[in-house]
Amino acid sequence: MKGALAVCWRDVQKFLGQPVLMISTFVGPFLTLILLGSAFGGAITHAPLAVVQESDGPYSSNFIQILRNEQTCQFGGINCQNAFQLIDVADLGKAQQMLRAGIVKAIVFVPLDFDASLAANSQVTVTVTLDNTDPLSAAAIGPEVAQAGQQLSSLVQTSPVGSAGLVFNLEDAYRNVLYIEFMAPGTFVQAIMFVSIIAGGVQLVVDKERGIIEGYLVTPLKKYEIVVGVLLSGVFKALFSSGMLFILAIVLAGIRPMNVFPDPNLGGIVLTIVTLFLTSLGLIAMMTAYAVRSSSADLYRVTCFPINLLLYYTSGAIYPLNGMPAWMQEVSVFNPETYAVHALRLLMYKGAGIQAVAGDFAFLATFTGLMLVLAIAAFRRGI
Amino acid sequence: MNLAVQTFGITKKFGDFTAVDHLNLKIKEEVFGLLGPNGAGKTTLIRMLVTVLSPTEGTATVAGADIVHQADKVRERIGVVTQASTLDIELTAQQNMNLYGMYYGIPRKKRQEKINELLKVVGLADRAKIPVAGYSGGMKRRLEIVRALVSEPKVLFLDEPTTGLDPQARAAVLEYVKRIHKEHGITLVITTHYLDEAENLCDRLAIVDHGVIVAEGTPTELKRKVSGGDIVETDFAVLPEVALDAIKRADFVLGIKKRDSGLTILVKNGAEAVPKLVSLVDSNGGKLRTMTLRELTLDDVFLEITGRSISEDTNVTRRRFVGGWQGARR
Repeated sequence: MKGALAVCWRDVQKFLGQPVLMISTFVGPFLTLILLGSAFGGAITHAPLAVVQESDGPYSSNFIQILRNEQTCQFGGINCQNAFQLIDVADLGKAQQMLRAGIVKAIVFVPLDFDASLAANSQVTVTVTLDNTDPLSAAAIGPEVAQAGQQLSSLVQTSPVGSAGLVFNLEDAYRNVLYIEFMAPGTFVQAIMFVSIIAGGVQLVVDKERGIIEGYLVTPLKKYEIVVGVLLSGVFKALFSSGMLFILAIVLAGIRPMNVFPDPNLGGIVLTIVTLFLTSLGLIAMMTAYAVRSSSADLYRVTCFPINLLLYYTSGAIYPLNGMPAWMQEVSVFNPETYAVHALRLLMYKGAGIQAVAGDFAFLATFTGLMLVLAIAAFRRGI
Repeated sequence: MNLAVQTFGITKKFGDFTAVDHLNLKIKEEVFGLLGPNGAGKTTLIRMLVTVLSPTEGTATVAGADIVHQADKVRERIGVVTQASTLDIELTAQQNMNLYGMYYGIPRKKRQEKINELLKVVGLADRAKIPVAGYSGGMKRRLEIVRALVSEPKVLFLDEPTTGLDPQARAAVLEYVKRIHKEHGITLVITTHYLDEAENLCDRLAIVDHGVIVAEGTPTELKRKVSGGDIVETDFAVLPEVALDAIKRADFVLGIKKRDSGLTILVKNGAEAVPKLVSLVDSNGGKLRTMTLRELTLDDVFLEITGRSISEDTNVTRRRFVGGWQGARR
């Protein structure tokens, strides 16, 4: 048993001698707890809701007021969660456009005959169109709107006019998207991030330590040629990896993206590839810059884990951003993965075109450009 | 005379520490050895010459180009074999060399011919298509050396080319290095710890210590710096103080160094000194265990000049020579 003690002592000593490693063994899981725990299961709040009000009268104003109260939480109570963020939209067509682009999560359509019908004590239908490509948000918004309707009904019933038939028609804008499908785009981005950390970064750090980079520098290769070469190979690997995952998701996980099923849509596929390309280039440039400037390979490896967690959980990949605490939502605004996931969802489940994803592309392109500058500067400053 | 390398007061400081200190050096078309203990500044010097580090002061020309202002030209004209292997072990010998050729922009056809020719030279032609991971240490070294030749460099820098190899592999590598110099007429600049290697391989040598050249010349010239001829290694069963004093005072002894149980004695002429030493020890009550006569080596020169042994990593040697020469100089 003395031998076992010696072996144990050796390992413990080595462990204690590496503070970075020691810390990483509990900081990583702790971050997972904070991020995943905060991200998941929070009530969906401030869900953007387009209101198209064609009818103008006391009942419709009342109804909107009730929704608005729910938004501002004027009534308080257990259901007070600032559920909505109302956006007045002039016509249904514009509202539908906003839904497609992912700007609003649902449309509440108050038809022209709303006031007249209620006044005449006849039935009227309010159509609520839900963006069910975000199943968690849709599941939360539907009942909230219906609750506002109930409040209106009770108001109307107590009014001298008498009872009215207010019917809610919850409408899915798209086919039912399963949670696994909702989660899939984030997984593709995750694959790209893994490649960026391992292929873009770790390999570079190892090459740096082995002197391979210095070996490059004594040949006529220019520094920018080395950067471009490293980035291109990284993009190739990332596209390969996320592409394989895309195929596996379809074949084995039953994901049915609209741009592939039922009829492949070339434009949609090209836009998907462009999204993956921009994301790959941006993330690889980011991790390359970081790897080049890292003082040691260990530090790089250990810090990559939390960076990856932070970006993944605040990207809305696993839960709608509206359900997350404010600080995570603030991080998500600057998180490139947010825009990648958003664009991929639009393309895969809404059959979106270039206009819908233009905003996401603009952010990704800007981010990528910035990271390229950083990566080249990092190489320039010395590797 | 066309100089392969010439430095002009080249200096490199890292903070307060001066690694290379206003060093002037001229290397012709030859095999030139840089000797020195670890931390002497030879690797810093080489890294400046191959344009990886820029000098704090001074400059140098390598293969006719300035290392500061014409670094691109220098890189085109040199080959570098670093101490740590930079081979991609997942790739074959041919792929490794092919990549190198591509870095230098050598046309495909010429590249292929050159690679096949070079692989033959170092006896790796039949293994050209297996991954380098399956190579022995010596084979990897040979491959690295010929890889640096794909671009037909004018000057080839070899940093400790045989460190970590077994004697057989070392001999093979050295043989190929010699052959390459002979057949291609390339200037070789070699740093090494192995003095026998430097002695056999190099036309000229420089001993670097504390960032300056402390001695320079052919191996023979350098050995002459230690005035006198031979070394007698002795081991005593008994060595009384009087015997030691007698040896120190003997006119044929130029210097002595103490070892664990014996003395290393520098003498004018070995053949004459041995019988005299024996009788000197005998008459003073000492008792010899062994006595060996050997020629002066570069290690002795090195020790003489720098005050310490070059083979820092071999503790035996270092311990043996701690203290340096004692006794008067004649």
